[in-house]
Formats: sequence, structure tokens, C-alpha cells
Amino acid sequence: MSARRFRNSETVDFVIVGSGAAGGVLARELARANLSVVVLEQGPRLAPADFEHDELKYWFKAGITADVLASPQSFRRAATLSAEVPKVRNPLVYARGVGGSTLHYTANYWRFHEIDFRERSVLGEIAGTGFADWPISYAELEPYYTRVDWEVGVSGLAGVCPFEPPRTKGYPMPPLPVKSSGVLFERGARKLGLHPVPAPMAINSIAYNGRPGCVHCGFCHGFACEVMAKASTLTTMIPAAEATGNCEIRADSYVSRIEVDKRGRATGVAYFDGEKREHFQRAKAVVLAANGGETPRLLLNSANAAFPQGLANSSGLVGKYLMFNYTARALGTFEHELNEFKSVQVTRILHDFYDSDPKRGFYGGGGLDARIGPQPTMWALRTATEGPGWGAAFKAKLQEFPRSMQVACHSTSLPLESNNITIDPAVKDAWGIPALRVTYKDHPDDLAIARFLQDRGAEILDAAGALRVTRAPVGDSSLAFHLLGTCRMGDDPRKSVVDRHHRSHDVANLFMCDGSSLVTSGRGQPTMTIQALAMRAGDHIAKFARRNEI
Amino acid sequence: MDDEGNARRTVLRGLATSLGVAALPWAEMARAAHDAHSAMQTPETLTYTLFSASDAADVEALTSQIVPSGATPGAREAGVTFFIDRGLGSFFSHWRAGFLDGLQKFQATCHDQCPGAERFAVLSSMRQVEFLRTVDTTPFFDQARLLTLCGMFTSQKYGGNRAGAGWKLIGFEDQHVFAPPFGYYDRDYPGFTAQPEKPS
Repeated sequence: MSARRFRNSETVDFVIVGSGAAGGVLARELARANLSVVVLEQGPRLAPADFEHDELKYWFKAGITADVLASPQSFRRAATLSAEVPKVRNPLVYARGVGGSTLHYTANYWRFHEIDFRERSVLGEIAGTGFADWPISYAELEPYYTRVDWEVGVSGLAGVCPFEPPRTKGYPMPPLPVKSSGVLFERGARKLGLHPVPAPMAINSIAYNGRPGCVHCGFCHGFACEVMAKASTLTTMIPAAEATGNCEIRADSYVSRIEVDKRGRATGVAYFDGEKREHFQRAKAVVLAANGGETPRLLLNSANAAFPQGLANSSGLVGKYLMFNYTARALGTFEHELNEFKSVQVTRILHDFYDSDPKRGFYGGGGLDARIGPQPTMWALRTATEGPGWGAAFKAKLQEFPRSMQVACHSTSLPLESNNITIDPAVKDAWGIPALRVTYKDHPDDLAIARFLQDRGAEILDAAGALRVTRAPVGDSSLAFHLLGTCRMGDDPRKSVVDRHHRSHDVANLFMCDGSSLVTSGRGQPTMTIQALAMRAGDHIAKFARRNEI
Repeated sequence: MDDEGNARRTVLRGLATSLGVAALPWAEMARAAHDAHSAMQTPETLTYTLFSASDAADVEALTSQIVPSGATPGAREAGVTFFIDRGLGSFFSHWRAGFLDGLQKFQATCHDQCPGAERFAVLSSMRQVEFLRTVDTTPFFDQARLLTLCGMFTSQKYGGNRAGAGWKLIGFEDQHVFAPPFGYYDRDYPGFTAQPEKPS
């Protein structure tokens, strides 16, 4: 590998914090523009061969996620309550390691729709929320969505979904082979007059871009792909960034704060290496792509005399408007085996309920998909949604594993100031850095749309001939994989943290680009949009650098 | 065996140092898994390292009510008690104190509520079930259930799921490569056809 190495004392053009969905893309885009880039990743650099099918390690010992013992996060339902660190898992689940959460994601890659970017204008104000339009349109992002399809690698079938937003190009790969869950979902949905279509997935259905096709092992969600068929930036963007000779990926490098000079410009970042020794990487500009939890934490932990509320926080909105997306689940048991533990999570989706409909009496919309139940241990732990979770009847229920599937209903979360990331005044991590504190309670409309969609999911399972349909309880969220909205994008510096090009309103050479940039939540599956935003940000930031406008 | 074990430990420690702090739990877990796995190769020496014989009997009786034995294997056949014993001594050591404390309270409550019975394990199965109904919402029961299911269904290398008993019970196949058709319903799928009609 021709990866370049930089010294800390060298002032590189860009230091990027995070190597995940956005950080990986930005590294490649900026390095290709002939700019020098150091990427600091808090986790290790693992090879695909290191990844295992090991539920105990990945779900109960944190595996590649932030361990609750070393990297605790606290959680509370409201600012009036005291925050607690959970015993087993942190409330915000993200992967540590080169590749970030693209290591362990499901790789659902539908695009946001045109409506997502201008929903506030269409629907009007929603009292008590920060519901707003985006400063950019779908049309502006479309070329970058297409680049993600082709450069990251998305399999799918264009032109068959009547709700699909306009696209300039089809998918580079055909859809993945349908699973029994997809066939049943399609059958049930069509009986009800709905429009199920093959799921767009960032998983190779055939060999593409130097990576092989999927071998259908079934360990996507929560696990990293050992054959590289699932597109992680670890195996797509990062090697391409390194191949330019302009980029160094520095793993086990955990950033603690951003420093600014007297003029209020960022000078670089302080970080710990794998031996917990502190270093400082100088850079002409800093890009935060650390995810919607860690990016605001870093800004808040970088408070100083000139920025007492935290860096880039003149709006007071750093960390606020946290959105999780809701996932309601309807579970169906069928007569014959589906064997959903095989192959990718999702092979069919539908967007008939994507748009918010004022006639329902609440805000919200969503996308449904047919999917696997989780792998054995998580299946066993989650199965007992009714009756006692032990004894002979429970055992019989466990044995329904190969005959079960679920319809997962992915839906909107409204942006609320009261849902946020702050710094816990008491809890510190193993490096002595103040921990992040999550405050979150779903808006009543978020739960209403979740229940509405769950009913639709249950109807589909019923129409597909399920012997029994059950609903997982819908209640307030306390665990999230989608970390969105905490440094929102906007034109007005009083109402947003970054501008339309991801530059912070307050610090001219500081950029934030990841889930934190999102203004609204979409309907789940945010990674495609995060990567399209990063492709676009890379274009613009490279232009600024060339014109000496940073 | 000993030499091999020591050599592997040395390698793992070296690996942990080279990868830094983030990799340490993985190395510890690999060691624990190695030890549990080695112990299982020589069943005549299978002994509990944490539980006393009577504690082990209670834990076995409790976990066997969570996933009972019968025509198909349950927690007992999957070696769940051994898994919990080894786990609390290694990869789940942060739960050890809480579990042992909970177990003690569970035993004391059982002793109070079931006069004449010395311990939970000696109650008839019916009386065990009756008693469990009174405590199945306690944090200890939750933890015991979590550990039981981990011991049934996680990788055999951690000392449970003996001979794949848990996976066989639920029809899970431990393979890295599958090919379609995956199940009954996708066998004769004719292929996706677009629907011509537009939604109203």
C-alpha cells in the first residue's frame, strides 16, 4: 500500500476525525484533489479476515462498538431526570474501527425523496419542534446519490418503484436474490394494492469494483463483512484515498479536542494514540465526521474562553435536534421454513406510506421492509413479546426461528431541542474525557406513525398467510443506531450549525459532515444520504481549498 | 496442550500490546474461550471454577426451567451452567458480583417461601415453576435468563451451546456460505415483475 505518513508537526491540509460513511468518502475526495489528509480513527484497523460470526463478542462485549465500560454514555428521558450509564450497552450504537459504522450496518441504501428536503414548506410549522426545510434540494444532491450508487456500489432495480425520486442513472448491479421474507412480503403487499420493490443495498450481488459478490452468510446487521461484499469504507473509499499517496489513515487515534488560535481559527486536534499518549496534529482545516453523537461531543468538549458554550455553538444548537428514526416491528410466523438467518437482511421494501398525510392526524411517514429476524441469541432474547420468556411454551416459540420473519417499519423523528447530546458532568471515559449524555423522548407523532406503520406491516404479514402475527411493543426509544441532526445544516447562523457546504458558521476552517448535518430524519436508512452529502461536501471543500477560501 | 495454550496466550498478549488498548477485551475473550474450549475437550476434568456444587445445582435447576429439557435439548444439555460459571469468571466478570449476590437472595427467598426444602434444586419441578412465577420479574431472573440464552445460542467456543445443541434446537445452520433458494417460499419465485399501475 502506498499510504503516506505525516508527522504531527507537519501542517496537513485537512485532518478528518472519523473514517466511517462520511469520513471515508471525504478522505478519498480531498486526497484525490491533491490535498494532504490525515484521518484519525478512534478504533483499530482490522482486516476483513478478523471479522467473526460471534454474537457474544459483537452484541454483549461491544465487539467493534463503543464498550460501555471503557467508553460509557449516560442516558435520561428528560433534562429533569438524572442520567444513568446502562449496564450492557450504550444508548448510541456506532462502530469503532477504520470503516466506522459502515463496518456493521445493514447497508439499506434507499435515497431520501424530494419531499424530505422541503417538507416544512409543504406541511407548515409543527409547534414545539425545529421542523425545517433543508438548505439544499434533492435535485442538488441527485448527482452525488448517483455517484454513491456507482462508486460505493449499490445493487437494486431502478424504475420499478412508483414513489422513487428522479434518478439520472440505474444501479450498477442487479438486486440481490430474493429471500422467502421478500417473496411473502411481495405477495402480501400486492394483495393489499401496495407496491413492494427489490431493496437497494450497498452489498454486491455480483463481483463489482474489485470486491466479490455476497456469499449470503447472514451476518450483516451488527457484524462486519469478512468477504468484503458489503460496502464498507474500509474496503472502498479508504484504500482509494491511500492510493493517491496524499492520505494517511491513523487508527487507534482518539481525538479529545479541537484547538483554535486567537483569531478563532482551528489549528488542529489533540488525540490519544493506542498507548494513551497525547499528540497534536496540526492542520489548515479540520473536518469532523465522527457521527451524530461524537461530533457534537467533541465540539462541546472543545469549549474555551472564546467559545464558552462549545466550539461552533453560537446558535446553541450543537448537540440539539437529535433524531433516531423509529423502527416498529411486526413479526410473522409461517407454516414452512424461511431460513431468514441466511443472506442479507432485506430483499424487498415498499414506500407507499413514505409521505406524511395530514388526514392521519399526525406528522410522519416511513418505509417498510421485509427482513430477517436477528441471529440466534438476539432472536431468543427478543422473541418473547408476549407471555413469560421462559418455560416449555417459550422453548416452543424459540423453535419458530426458521419459520419467522419481520416487517420492519422505518419512520420519521421530529427534531426537538429537548432531544440532545450534552456533556455528562460526572462520567468520564477510560481516557479521562467527559462522556456524552443523551436526553431523548420520542415525540408523540413519532410513536403514532410507528404504530400506524406497524399496523400496515401486520396487515401485509396477514395477507401473506402468516399463521400468527405479533407486534413488538412501541414505546420510547432508549437505543439508537441512527444518530442524526445534532449539527444541523442551514443558511441562518442563528438556526443552524453548519452552512450548506458543511462549513461551521462560527469557525471558517472547521467543517462537520456526518449524520449530524441532517435537518430532518428521512425515513430511516440515512447512510446513503450521509455519503451523498459527503461526496458533495468533498467537491465543495476541495474547491474552497484550491481557491484559498479556507 | 499446556505448551500450546501458553504459546497462544503469549501470542495473544503480544497482539493486544501491538494493537493497543482497544484490542484488549478481544484478547481476554480469546483466552477465556481458549480455556473453556480446552476444558471441554477433557470432560472428565470439567469442574466449576466459581460455583460451589450446591450453587451449581441451583443454577442448573433454574436455567433448566428457563429452557427445559425434553424431546429436544434444553439448557442442561447445552452446558449452560458451565458457560455461566466460566463466563462470570472471565468475559462476563463485570456481572459476577451482581449475579452471585442475586443468587444468594434467590436462594434465601426460596428457603423462606418453600418450607421444608433445603434449596431450589431439590424442589419438584412443579414447585420450582410455582416459585419462579413469583420471582420472574426480578433483575436476577432477567440476568439469569440473559446468561441462559447466551449459553444456549452463542458460539460453542465460550463453553455453552455444547455440540451445537442450541443451534440444532432452533434450526440454525452455522455456515459461512449459502446459496438460493434459502427457504420454502423463494424456491419457485418466478422473478420480479413491475406493476404497471400507478398509485392513486
